Amino acid sequence: MEGSDTYLIRPNHQHKFKPAIVKEYIHEIVRERLSGVRYNPEEVPELSHSLADCIKDKVKNAGFDRYKLVVQVVIGEQRGQGVKMSSRCLWDADTDNYAEDVFMNDSLFCVVAVFGSYYY
Amino acid sequence: MDDYQTEEEESAFVVEESVEATIGRNTYQHNRVNQWSTSVVEQCLGQLGKLGKPFKYIVNCIIMQKNGAGLQTASACFWDNSTDGSCAVRWENKSMYCIVNVFGLAI
Repeated sequence: MEGSDTYLIRPNHQHKFKPAIVKEYIHEIVRERLSGVRYNPEEVPELSHSLADCIKDKVKNAGFDRYKLVVQVVIGEQRGQGVKMSSRCLWDADTDNYAEDVFMNDSLFCVVAVFGSYYY
Repeated sequence: MDDYQTEEEESAFVVEESVEATIGRNTYQHNRVNQWSTSVVEQCLGQLGKLGKPFKYIVNCIIMQKNGAGLQTASACFWDNSTDGSCAVRWENKSMYCIVNVFGLAI
């Protein structure tokens, strides 16, 4: 009896990384955790770490099977300086994707980027 | 499967070279920062791709003007620790900071 071909090397459309859904998660979590927070150099390292972990757990539980995740959180103080953040990826554009969101209040800004890469 | 840990130094070197070559002697200029960050990232990615390793790469670059403000970056990753890894390169000159993060995911 031949084994059936059940090992997937590509996610089917339903299971692909969905940027819109992940962006919603990011938006919700950041809004909840950072509204009304002032930039404090002593608290910020812990805050950014915990935000990254929290978002990573939320996206993991959203059920993107076989996806490796990289969550990047950048929190900066608002002092009128110029900042630019950019990313490029060398990956499989058919299966891999990313989601990002920016949050600002008058004391800080926060950029979150989540990258999902399919593990063949 | 390839072990990324030993290649972290290699990619850090590649990144430092790319940053130095692109913005080494420049002063922060708002209207050029777009082009600089794109070019830093694309050069890094190009050099990393040329290494020919079986990895998917994510390269991220932050360029910030020096003005006394604080900046913190953090990342959380869900991957295979034995094959995947990342490296962060911090670079600065008199007028700006540049932070480049490279994440390598084994295929």
